[in-house]
Amino acid sequence: MKTRKFKRPRAWACLIGLLTVTTLTAQVRNLTEDEAFFYEEVDESTDVYDPFESVNRFTFVFNDFVFSNTVQPLVDAYTSIAPDPVEEGTSNFFHNLRYPVRLASNLLQCRFKGAWVETGRFAINSTVGIVGILTPADDYEGFTPIKSEDVGQVFGAWGIGEGPYLVLPFLGPSNLRDLAGFFGDRAVNPLKEPFGVIDDWKWERQLALSGTGYIARSPQIIERYKQLKGSSIDPYSSLKNGYAQYRRGAVAE
Amino acid sequence: MTMKSFSYRAFLVLGLFFWASVSAQEAEKDKLQGMIDAALDVIYTDTYTTLSAYEKQSQVREKLESRYDLDVMIRYAIGKNWRRMNKREQLEVLELVKQLVLKAYVIGLDGKDRPSVTLGELTEIGKARIEIESIIVLDTKTYYILYRLRQMDSGWQIYDIVAENISVSSNYRGQIDDHFRKGSGADLIARLKDLLVKDEINEDTKI
Repeated sequence: MKTRKFKRPRAWACLIGLLTVTTLTAQVRNLTEDEAFFYEEVDESTDVYDPFESVNRFTFVFNDFVFSNTVQPLVDAYTSIAPDPVEEGTSNFFHNLRYPVRLASNLLQCRFKGAWVETGRFAINSTVGIVGILTPADDYEGFTPIKSEDVGQVFGAWGIGEGPYLVLPFLGPSNLRDLAGFFGDRAVNPLKEPFGVIDDWKWERQLALSGTGYIARSPQIIERYKQLKGSSIDPYSSLKNGYAQYRRGAVAE
Repeated sequence: MTMKSFSYRAFLVLGLFFWASVSAQEAEKDKLQGMIDAALDVIYTDTYTTLSAYEKQSQVREKLESRYDLDVMIRYAIGKNWRRMNKREQLEVLELVKQLVLKAYVIGLDGKDRPSVTLGELTEIGKARIEIESIIVLDTKTYYILYRLRQMDSGWQIYDIVAENISVSSNYRGQIDDHFRKGSGADLIARLKDLLVKDEINEDTKI
């Protein structure tokens, strides 16, 4: 049998060797690149200034206890009694009441389009939507829901730093800037003190309104809190990081 | 070969290369949609209703792992802390975090209506990195979730999920960074094991 002679064996050996080396080098480079990728900084910063960690952790545990033993049973009772449309209507009503905060926050950031959309939504939902229980504005072109603004975001947009991370009793995660924003929200809200427009309002009624508003928006908050807590290694740290990312994103938008 | 024909061929090759790259990225959308649907099927279709929560977690895991390497996302979340653990601890942490996340996923959707998930735009966000937007409608509410993928040696892999401005990888990185400021790999394993044996997610906080 005639065998075909392999011409230039050295050249072929060199070529095969070169290809093997190139392939191996590429694989090693890829592995190194993959490995380096795992050590790089994440896109969203994880740094949160937390000088009061021990106090915050204590308040976190306290809030968690209050949430689990007081707010949660109330919310469970509320969600089991109230049919879904009632729940949604109540939540819409309280959201509509916060229109002055959203308007002021848009104006303070010179977001005139946002202010216009919020005003249009308030007008439509308060009238056609029966004092804000329904949200017919969702169907009007140009008045579909936009991201809510608050005074804390205004401070962020003005370049004011977050300050230290805080966990406020009953209110939950915050920071110094958002705490100031919380008082700012109250200042521009005509239904809240210190600049409330209703003079003869007794504190009991104000408390009832605030309490109902708190319960009405709690089901969603509790749901998210439970999910965050259920999947976290350290719930305190997870909430701190989640809150910081959420607020940073809201300010940047 | 004239300069003109060379330019033409080079243009053609580059065009083909670009087309192949774009269609490979687009194929990732189908793969991702397939993974999401398969995982939701385990939780919501009648075929799996008789399964226990643990069995559902295993099934979901199987569906996810048949398409993506879950270790990539966990390794990315662990970051430099990976080097603070020995080989055995590294493997154990990977496994336990995976179990914790799957447990939270299955429990989180339990009792809810099946969400509708539609994939939206695909955006290139850097070298060998893409972001796929997904629109989720759950209980009449709409949420936006971003899936971030990177081209790894093993193909396109999910390395981060961003829900309402909150990056899951960043969130875990923050927690793990905080943990390693005071604790060790062994402590982390103990903590994860502790979390996994709890039936209810609210059990661990007492005053």
